[in-house]
Amino acid sequence: MYSSVVRLQNTFGFFTTVAFVVAAIIAASDLLAPRTPSVGLLKTTNLQVVRGRPHYYSSKKEEYAIIKFSLDADLSSLFTWNTKQLFVYVTAEWPSVGGSGSGQNATNQAVIWDSIITSPSADHLANLGPIAMKKLKRSAAGKSIDPNRGKLSLKNQRPKYQISHPSGKVAEQEDVVLRLHYNVQPWVGILTWNQDADFWKWTTLRNNLSKKFKLPAIKKKVEKKAGASS
Amino acid sequence: MAEQILEQARELFEGQIDFEGQKLVELLVNVALTLVGAIAFFVGYLLQDIKLAVYVGLAGTAAVFLLAVPPWPFFNRNPVKWLPVGGITPPANLVVDDKMFR
Repeated sequence: MYSSVVRLQNTFGFFTTVAFVVAAIIAASDLLAPRTPSVGLLKTTNLQVVRGRPHYYSSKKEEYAIIKFSLDADLSSLFTWNTKQLFVYVTAEWPSVGGSGSGQNATNQAVIWDSIITSPSADHLANLGPIAMKKLKRSAAGKSIDPNRGKLSLKNQRPKYQISHPSGKVAEQEDVVLRLHYNVQPWVGILTWNQDADFWKWTTLRNNLSKKFKLPAIKKKVEKKAGASS
Repeated sequence: MAEQILEQARELFEGQIDFEGQKLVELLVNVALTLVGAIAFFVGYLLQDIKLAVYVGLAGTAAVFLLAVPPWPFFNRNPVKWLPVGGITPPANLVVDDKMFR
């Protein structure tokens, strides 16, 4: 520590150590915050299966399921000082015809809707236009945590993604359920998904499955060509 | 003249401090940075505001840099007293590496 340059180096070196340790303690402080997410309602409101092409020039025709749904959930307890954003998504799941021995996935699972909910500390990172950004920032002005952020209430929500299957067949598929998932993305620490069992102060997400339902038959188009069965 | 200014500039840039000062600055840096980290965490945790924690931590670290890096006079209060150049005979019976100096 005899010269200025050496003191600069040593001070910076110890600063990096302190920064790392503080970050580790912040990550560990997540465990002290209870997580009690709850789902009020998750149900389908409208089901439709249509035929379409994966992209414009494709000659392959596939069936696509369009699943509209309603969702009421309170995930606000997932927002702590260390939460950067919350990724919420709804999947549709159904068992494979042959089960796990058929060379297929035992369970088919596809995301139909997702959303990123930013914490007020991460609002500036949201992928929004200037007007929507202003509105988002004003909605939590002066607050470091906004308890309204995690409250979801969707009525007859259109899916973001129409889902299909590698076989191209989804019509009249039975035993389909919707499942709500979340993924907490902290400022420092590890990513956490909805866990299967209670873990100390973190409770599992209950009631996050819809009732089993059956996808309908293909909706007949009005201008259906004769003999277009292949 | 120019040489003198150059010498002063070099000393200012090097910023040497004495041995007692080096001991003191090491202690100061370790204690102050640890305190800054602890304060940053508790302020952030109590107010549940991570941005505030980052700003407190960075501001405190900047203050520690300002305290530790320049050769402040209180790091130079125990200068080393060198023997004068030449003119002094070594003391009798001085032993270095088992050899007697005369």
